[in-house]
Amino acid sequence: MAAVGSAVGLGNVWRFPFVCYDNGGGAFLIPFFVAIFTAGIPLLILEFSVGHWSNTSPPKAFKKINKKHEWFGWLTVLMPFIVATYYVVVMAWCFSYMIYSFDLRWGSSAGSFFTEFIGDTGSPLVLGGISVPILLGLIAVWFTIFFILYKGVKRIGKVVALTVPIPTILLIILTIRGLTLPGAMEGISYYLTPDFSRLGDINVWIAAYAQVFFSFSLAQGIMITYASFLKKKSDITNNAFIIALADAGTSFLAGFTVFSVIGYLTVSQGIGIDKMPISGPGLTFVTYPTAISLLPFAASIFGIMFFIALLTFGIDSAFSMIEPISDGINSKWKISKAKATAILCILGFFISLLFATGGGSHLLEIVDHFISNFGLVAVGLLECLILGWLYSIYKLRAHANETSEIRIGIWWDYLIKYIIPLVLGILLFVSIINNVITNPYPDFPHWLVVTAGFLPLLAITIVAVLLHKTKAKMEVES
Amino acid sequence: MGLGLSAIAMLIFGSVVIYGGLAFFLYKAFKSMKKQ
Repeated sequence: MAAVGSAVGLGNVWRFPFVCYDNGGGAFLIPFFVAIFTAGIPLLILEFSVGHWSNTSPPKAFKKINKKHEWFGWLTVLMPFIVATYYVVVMAWCFSYMIYSFDLRWGSSAGSFFTEFIGDTGSPLVLGGISVPILLGLIAVWFTIFFILYKGVKRIGKVVALTVPIPTILLIILTIRGLTLPGAMEGISYYLTPDFSRLGDINVWIAAYAQVFFSFSLAQGIMITYASFLKKKSDITNNAFIIALADAGTSFLAGFTVFSVIGYLTVSQGIGIDKMPISGPGLTFVTYPTAISLLPFAASIFGIMFFIALLTFGIDSAFSMIEPISDGINSKWKISKAKATAILCILGFFISLLFATGGGSHLLEIVDHFISNFGLVAVGLLECLILGWLYSIYKLRAHANETSEIRIGIWWDYLIKYIIPLVLGILLFVSIINNVITNPYPDFPHWLVVTAGFLPLLAITIVAVLLHKTKAKMEVES
Repeated sequence: MGLGLSAIAMLIFGSVVIYGGLAFFLYKAFKSMKKQ
């Protein structure tokens, strides 16, 4: 249940709709489905097997495989920590919108309200200030993460028992409202109609794989950590399929909500479906509030409930991003879980201040683009290479089959060893070249985009190596 | 405006594979839980 909570989060209701919209709607869906079955589910089974077999944190698990690979374990847990620093900012936006729902403060123009709300400076070079509501939201979210985590994983189970089903029900209600709006079918048609001409665009494919990595919490040590808490007889394959399909189902549903409102907005404003004034991370903060305002009754109450739901959707993913590194620090340096979590939350809070500024939202978009498209995909590729080539992959398959009703065949070994690394390798190589040659954000200086994008990746790789080199009280059995 | 044929095909494919698949694996999980 905790793993479902981690996988189903803002990645589905916030990130999937805007990535899908930015990549041409229906043009994105086919690569997305392909990515789920060719990388998402096989890697989920892989990470579950590693976690369940090693029964420990990712750094220790990779050290158990080979002492030289501990750094990679640290890299996997640092990745979600960086993601958390901007993910929490989106949650702080939700926190403010929950309060604004009392009087539906965004009025009839949710787009310009959002721009004013974040204090958009128009450039990541001009950071500007942080608005008080966002700052208060940040404090509240980081404190909640700390509060849930410091007692350990038992508390997580109790939290997600509520935070998974409630938001899903509210999302269904909002989808029904969205679908009954005039013009909704324009949006849905854009969302569902495949654009076969875009299948040759490598950027769409890398975005699809990155979305699956982000949304399934892959290549982030999260699933390894959660699988280490599973019971000995847990069915690994079935768990992996349930998590993957629950996650994909939530994304697919959120797509209907957002695209139906996009259809309504563009038809009512007489603009083309692909010409929304706001795209990127702000998109859902235009579409959801608009749908809420258009509810026939109790819009305020629904708005409050919906943003609480988004917060609860986000909170289990957010603490799952901190849990693996906290667990790693706890097992290496024997620092108490509470102390490790406190240090990480304070550090995370200060980093997240950067993304909470007026220009920070642009920085957020750039860092998210590079971390997901290159960082997560590269870690996924390395994971396949380390576990597929430097470790006996059949042992992990045998471990998964021991407890699973549906047994996986040798095809899975081939996927992990050859097909996934080949696909991810090509996508990564071409995409990096593309991003270095062509500016993915032409509104901003290219040097800034490349620096802001690659710097965090370089920094966490260095930190991972340093954490590996640092002596500690960690002992690996056999 | 209605949905085109390819959009309907995508809708059916997505719904059957994702939600149908989820229902199938949840059913299997509940069945094995009952056995235990």
